[in-house]
Amino acid sequence: MDIAIQILNSLNYILVLILVAMGLVIIFGLMRVINMAHGEFFLIGAYTVVMTDQLGLGFWAGLLLSPIVVGLFGMVIEYLFIRHLYRRFLDTILATWGLSIAIKQLVIIIFGPEGLMVQPPLPQSVHFAGLEYPAYRLFIMGVALVIIFITFFIFFRTDFGLSARSVIANRDMAAALGINTRRMYRTTFMFGSALAGLAGAVMAPLMSCDPQMGLGFFIPAFLSILVGGAGTLAGILVGGAVVGGSDSFISFLFSPVTAQIVVFSLAIVLIRFRPEGLIGTRRRG
Amino acid sequence: MANFFSDFGHQKAEMARLLVLVGLLFFPLIGDDYLVAMLTQFIIYGVFAMGLSLVWGYTGILCFGHAVFFGLGAYIMALATKNMIPGITGILTTSLGAILLAIVIVMLFAVVLGYFLFYGRLSGPYLGIVTLAIAVISERIAVKWYYIGGYNGLINVPPLSIAGWEILNLKVLFYVILVIGLAVYLICNRIVRSPFGTILIAVRDNEIRAEFFGYNIAQFKIIIFAIGAAVAGLAGALFAAVTEFVSPTMLGFGLSTEVLIWVALGGKEALLASFLGAVLVRVLEAFLSDILTYYWILILGMFFVVCVMFFPKGVFGNLLAERPKH
Repeated sequence: MDIAIQILNSLNYILVLILVAMGLVIIFGLMRVINMAHGEFFLIGAYTVVMTDQLGLGFWAGLLLSPIVVGLFGMVIEYLFIRHLYRRFLDTILATWGLSIAIKQLVIIIFGPEGLMVQPPLPQSVHFAGLEYPAYRLFIMGVALVIIFITFFIFFRTDFGLSARSVIANRDMAAALGINTRRMYRTTFMFGSALAGLAGAVMAPLMSCDPQMGLGFFIPAFLSILVGGAGTLAGILVGGAVVGGSDSFISFLFSPVTAQIVVFSLAIVLIRFRPEGLIGTRRRG
Repeated sequence: MANFFSDFGHQKAEMARLLVLVGLLFFPLIGDDYLVAMLTQFIIYGVFAMGLSLVWGYTGILCFGHAVFFGLGAYIMALATKNMIPGITGILTTSLGAILLAIVIVMLFAVVLGYFLFYGRLSGPYLGIVTLAIAVISERIAVKWYYIGGYNGLINVPPLSIAGWEILNLKVLFYVILVIGLAVYLICNRIVRSPFGTILIAVRDNEIRAEFFGYNIAQFKIIIFAIGAAVAGLAGALFAAVTEFVSPTMLGFGLSTEVLIWVALGGKEALLASFLGAVLVRVLEAFLSDILTYYWILILGMFFVVCVMFFPKGVFGNLLAERPKH
C-alpha cells in the first residue's frame, strides 16, 4: 500500500513540475527567452494564496486570484524589461536573474524570511480500494491535468495555437506572413507567468511557503525541459516524468537532498549526451 | 584625430590603473586594522571576480557556478593545512604547498568539467543552467559530507604562513594579499593581451566565425575555463586562510550569483573593472547594508538589471577598456 501512495505522490509532483515547466518552455520556445524569474512567479502565486489566507478570504479566492495576479505581473515585467532584450539572448537570462533576486527580496521585505503555512483547504481523505489518500492532492492532480490538457488544446487545436507554433518554427517567416509577433510575445509571456502562478498557488498548502521555494522548482523544471527536449511541447511531459519521477522515488528511498544531488547530476549527463532531449529532434536556432 | 582621442582614452585608462594601485598601496596608512582586514577580504573577492571575467567577459562562457571553484579551493586549503587529507603530508600541508595543491586540483577539476561540457555542444543558456545546477549539487554535497564539516563548515583553518612564519599582522597580511592580487592581475592581463587572448575575444564575439578560421573552439574554452577556475581556486584558498574558516555557502549558487553581479556591475570585459566591481560592491554593502537592511539586495538586484539592459560594459568598463577603440 505504501508503494501505491508513493506512486500517487510522485505523480502529484510530476504534474506540478510539468505545469511549471510548461510555462517556461512556452516562453522559451516562442520568445527564445529563458525566464530565470520563473521560479519567482511560482513564488508570487504561492504568496498570493498566503495573503488571501491571512486576510481571511480563504484559499479558494487565492487560487482563482493567483494566475490573474501573476499573469498581470508578467505582463508588466515583459513591458518594462523583456521587450527591450529580444535580440540579446544571453542578456535576457541575466536580466531575469536580476529580477528574480529583486522579487525574492521584495517577498522577504513584505512577508519576512521565515516559512508561512496555509490552512489546508481540503483536510479530508478519500478512501479508495483500501487506500487512504488526501483529497487535496487528488484535487491538485485534477487541476494540473485539466490545465495541461487546455494548454495542449490551445496550442494544437486553435488559431492562436497555430500562429504560436508558426512563430516557434520560424519567427521571421511568421512575422512576414502577418502574424503580430509583438502581441504574440506579450500574450505568451502572460500565459506562461499565469501557469507558474497557478502552480505556486496549488502547491502552497502542501509546503511551507518561504522565499527560496521558487528556485527549488525552477531548476528541476528547467532540467526537465532540457531532458525532454526544448523543441517540443510534448518533450516536457517526458522530461517532467523522468526528472520528477526519479526525484520523488530517490527521495522516498534515501533523502530529498540525495535525490537532488543524484537527479541533477544524471540530468546534466543526459543533457550533455543528448542536447536535443530524449524525444526531440535536433533543431537549428 | 581619431588616433588622438584613442590615445587620450588609453592614457586615461593608464591613469586610472595607477590611481587604483596607489590607492590600495597607501590604504593601510590611513585605515585602521578593521578596515584593512575588510579590504584584504575584498581584494580576494576581486581576484575571484577576475577569474570570472576571464571566462565570462573575455570568452563569453556564461558560468552560473563559478563559486564552485572558489569553494573547492577554500576546502582544499582548509583540509590540507589541517592535515585532514589522507596521503597529503609534509610540504603540501604548509600554506604555500596547500595553495599550490588547491590551484592544481581546481584546475584539473575544471579541465575535466570543461572537457565534459564544451565538447558536448552545450553553449550559452544551457551552459548557464547546467553550471547553476552544478553549484547547487556542490553545495548539497558539502552540506551532507560530515567529514568536511557538513553544514557548519570547518573552523580554525591555520592562518597564512611563509616558511613557518605565520602572518598575523593585519597590515603585513594586506600587503601579501595585495602582491598576490597584483601578480594575478599582471599574469591574466598578459594572457588576454596575447594572441591567445585575441582568439578568446573572437570566440566571444562570433563563435561560428572563429571556428571557420580553423580554431578548435572547445579547446580554447577548456583552457580559459581552467585558468579562470584556477584564479578562483587561488582566491578561495587565500580566503580560507585569511578568514580561518570555510563553509558550504562558499561553494553554492549564492556566492556564484554575487560574483556574477560584481563582475557585471564593474565591467566584465576588463579585468581591473571586474576587480573594482567586486571591491566596490562589497565596500558599499559593508556600509549600506546596515542602513538599508533588506532593501540593499533589492536595490542591488534592480541595479544589476539596469546594468545588463543599458550598460553592458559595466560602470568601469569603458574607462578601463584593455585596448583603445578603433
